[in-house]
Amino acid sequence: MSIRADLGHDWFARPLPANVELGEGSWLYSSYAFLHYQSRRPVGLRVGHDTGLYNGTFFELGVDGEVRIGSYCTLVGVIVVTNGRVEIGDYAFLAHEVVIADHAIAQPPRSEWPRGEVGASATSIHLGENVWVGARATILGGTVVGNHAVIGAGAVVQGSYPERCVLAGNPAQLVRRF
Amino acid sequence: MDIGEVTGEWDYRSLPANVRMGRDCWLERKFSFDRFRSERQPGLAFGDRVRAYTWTTFNVEPTGRVDVGDDTVLVGAVFMCREHISIGNRVVISYNVTIADSDFHPLDPEDRIRDAIANSPRGDRTRRPRIESRPVRVEDDVWIGIGAMVLKGVTVGAGARIGPGAVVTADVPAGASVLGNPAHLVEQRD
Repeated sequence: MSIRADLGHDWFARPLPANVELGEGSWLYSSYAFLHYQSRRPVGLRVGHDTGLYNGTFFELGVDGEVRIGSYCTLVGVIVVTNGRVEIGDYAFLAHEVVIADHAIAQPPRSEWPRGEVGASATSIHLGENVWVGARATILGGTVVGNHAVIGAGAVVQGSYPERCVLAGNPAQLVRRF
Repeated sequence: MDIGEVTGEWDYRSLPANVRMGRDCWLERKFSFDRFRSERQPGLAFGDRVRAYTWTTFNVEPTGRVDVGDDTVLVGAVFMCREHISIGNRVVISYNVTIADSDFHPLDPEDRIRDAIANSPRGDRTRRPRIESRPVRVEDDVWIGIGAMVLKGVTVGAGARIGPGAVVTADVPAGASVLGNPAHLVEQRD
């Protein structure tokens, strides 16, 4: 069951966007997370149950942006920048200063981009279940990462990777399978 | 709180007198200037139509000065400035980027001990050892990717591309693309 409870603890005096769904038992630090949110999709952000979206998490969605986050996930200050679709499976843990973005020169979505070539282009990103992403990692457009994968701190990931692997480095390489 | 202070709708006249602003700038977060301590005139100069988003921070020491050109977009640019950082026109700086013109601490081990004592809560800051700084210059039309760092003494030439997560410690030629830590050249456009 999905709920759209207003956030009793919120300091930022704006309502949640109407097309945001937070599952039962999920926690969001503030509607500040939607500071630049532009999504006009029927459901721009859907979050499962018992997921924590902690301080510093932002959903920088363009008008066509859609994000799906599973249940029992932890996002500790993650910035998601997309005008496409980003999916994060259940039990995912994403650490501080992780950025998930359509491209490397991502900017907040606004109607007037300064130049077309750095504007949003629709891509999709999929992180499987139980993925662990270390602090300051960057995950770029088109990336697919399988279940249980671990992405090292500061890694810059773009590409398709299997389940049960460790990715690390800039650019990220598959360093181990387990 | 007044949410205008984080949505760009605050009174820019509350900025320090040595911040000079061009026409039609948009500075999202008032607190971007909390650690602006420049005593230079100006200590921070914006061209026209500069946009600075919420994550951008101007940490400028009394001796520092930052210049930002026209139509530049600062998404998450954390400036650490002791001397001079200049950013050109039409530059795009993405999320979680650091630009520093100093290491802010000495390298020599004895100097670092003296620095630690001078910086302690009861310390005398005037006894800090000499700290090196070298200006950073980012020329027109440069794009700096997510999470990159540009360190002291670096000139990034016009139109260069700094890849995500790159740590730039040496000059980048105009039109070049660099990537990695330390950043290395991956492409040179003429």
